[in-house]
Amino acid sequence: MNLLITGGRVVDPSQNLDALRDLRIENGMIAEIGEHLPSRGEETLDAAGSVVAPGFIDMHVHLREPGHTHKETIATGAAAAAAGGFTAVACMPNTEPALDSPALIAEVKRLAEKAHLARVYPIAAITRGRQGRELAPYWKLRDAGAVAFSDDGTTVENPRVLRQAALYARDVPGVFISHCEDCALKGDAVMHEGAHSAHLGLCGSPGVAEQIIVARDLLIAGDTRKPFHIAHISSAMSVELMRFARAQGIPATCEVTPHHLLLEDDRFTAFDAQAKVNPPLRESADTAALREAVRDGTIDVFATDHAPHTLEEKAQLLGAAPVGFSGLETAVGAYAAAIPDLPLSRFIALLSTNPARILGVPGGTLRVGSIADITIFAERRWNVDASRFYSLGKNTPFDGATFERRAIATIVAGRIVMRDGGLSPTTGDALRLR
Amino acid sequence: MPPEPKRRSLLDLSDLRAEETQYLLDRAQAFAATPAQRELLRDVCVVNLFFEPSTRTYSSFVIAQARVGADVVALPPGSSSLGKGETIADTAITLAAMGVRVIVTRHSESGFPYRLADAFAGHVINAGDGGHAHPTQALLDLATLQTEFGRGKIAGLKIALVGDIAHSRVARSNIIGLRALGAQVVLVGPPTLLPDAFAREGVRIARSLDAVLGEVDVVMLLRIQRERIVSAALPCLDDYARNYRLDGKRLRMLAPHAIVMHPGPYNRGVELTDEVLSHRGWRYAQQVSHGVPVRMAVLDFLVNGV
Repeated sequence: MNLLITGGRVVDPSQNLDALRDLRIENGMIAEIGEHLPSRGEETLDAAGSVVAPGFIDMHVHLREPGHTHKETIATGAAAAAAGGFTAVACMPNTEPALDSPALIAEVKRLAEKAHLARVYPIAAITRGRQGRELAPYWKLRDAGAVAFSDDGTTVENPRVLRQAALYARDVPGVFISHCEDCALKGDAVMHEGAHSAHLGLCGSPGVAEQIIVARDLLIAGDTRKPFHIAHISSAMSVELMRFARAQGIPATCEVTPHHLLLEDDRFTAFDAQAKVNPPLRESADTAALREAVRDGTIDVFATDHAPHTLEEKAQLLGAAPVGFSGLETAVGAYAAAIPDLPLSRFIALLSTNPARILGVPGGTLRVGSIADITIFAERRWNVDASRFYSLGKNTPFDGATFERRAIATIVAGRIVMRDGGLSPTTGDALRLR
Repeated sequence: MPPEPKRRSLLDLSDLRAEETQYLLDRAQAFAATPAQRELLRDVCVVNLFFEPSTRTYSSFVIAQARVGADVVALPPGSSSLGKGETIADTAITLAAMGVRVIVTRHSESGFPYRLADAFAGHVINAGDGGHAHPTQALLDLATLQTEFGRGKIAGLKIALVGDIAHSRVARSNIIGLRALGAQVVLVGPPTLLPDAFAREGVRIARSLDAVLGEVDVVMLLRIQRERIVSAALPCLDDYARNYRLDGKRLRMLAPHAIVMHPGPYNRGVELTDEVLSHRGWRYAQQVSHGVPVRMAVLDFLVNGV
């Protein structure tokens, strides 16, 4: 695939680059960066007025296949990713069955290649069936293509199992991604425990339910030297625990979602489940601490926890409704809204450079010779209309919101898979699903 | 300011302005003094959709509905399609299509009547949702206070709510109603049953019943359920009793004019002793007696306006 991207502001934190440059792509690789590159007759993409960045990678999505394909498929999820500006996603293993065998990992990769949109990197389970008891076969899962390990959706409850897993898997490439919620402390919670849950008579999960597991898992990371990545960090004290871990030299990173930066626990007064999510939306002191932790570098990654469900499932009563909502197609706008003054190089590092480094996958850079995974975005006002999502999950608490930043092109291996919100007509399964 | 002519639903007391709450109390007082008025809701079809067992609230609604002349259908939980996977919206559409104009509902989950009201084209009356709200109980408690202390005299009263505030829909609705009418509220209980988050303007938290008994006009006791021991919210009933059970000794700390209330069903020996039941200030029966006229007033108010 050959392509010439002209006139854009190229921002690449991996080489401290922020300048107006042209970008030449040959055979799916970055061939040349320079000013006023002459055309060699290849397709040209005019990026004037836009930012050209290394491709965005969402390292925390749920694509629901196998098992829950009424909520999402690899193909629709890859389409949603491309539409949202992501050149790659890493999908969580809480499918049915769970991604705990090499054959399932290979199947995810096969379906992703068939969809031929954003790249999809499978994350394998830490324990067999995500049951928290026996270890998954880490080396064989890695060989099959797993990029990381996680029982996301639940915490590995037994600390001995987790410590043994971390020890065994220490030399296996692939970070352990921790979903931090103590089951006993969380109980039947449908939201955060605080003044709002008290006044609404709803069962809440206290911040300490997250923090106690964040602390535990960081200690296990330090003890075993297995790198851990804390998923969807949501509370101020968890941020402090991350700072402590960094100071101790513990191999740990963390991510934050758009909703934990932007939304709070005041969204349940109508008792609808749109904002029901794990971990729950917390208080203003927490969102403020998370935004500060993004600014000061304590938080490494922006990840959406894209968790599609059907409208019917999400319309149930709070207790029965599933947790989470779609995130891929709103992420760029939502992150920009959460911290409008975040320098672009930091914004891009959290969406591209850092997740690529943590997962050990290609991309995250525009250096000559790297794969040509590129996201082009612009400061452009737009309104969220969830009914038009490529994702099968049309639920988001951001429906109707106005955002100021939007991905306008997604380029995977030099191939334009999304432009101005429309997907490439040469792509596979995903388009037929629309 | 006159009350609004028509209200669609009564889901919690926060739906009402203070004048409307006062109107309902006055209307209830009038209903208590007059015989049945069966023309008020003539030809109005009311469905009672109770997903939780209820004695007091259910029977008092049924009597009130008879007194205002409504056509009443009771849907016991087992017979409802909601139990067969029909959505709330579908149930609401079905009932509305049959001409049902009022649904009275009780559900174990906070928020159920809100979701029903979103989908239903008629009036929804919340007869208790999870730990959230029980507005008609709070209204009958306010009616009891008005009878006891006089019209307009709820403002300035100091009222202690004692016990399991965290799980109590009665407490939550009473806090809203009492604040709206100008009373001072003191909540009393251990932190597991009364989180600090309940404190706000006009609502104080006390951790000792003895410390507040001398200063309050009203003690509202709440039921303590034995499940709270299993869920580790309480060590044992004795330990609860040490600080919070109303007994003979504590009754003597009350001001002479003070009264004691309980939404029922009460547990003798748990949140109160038998001495409370024979105390001159015990008003449980009066509370129950206000149930029917208050619910007549609510039905009439929602369907016919002021």
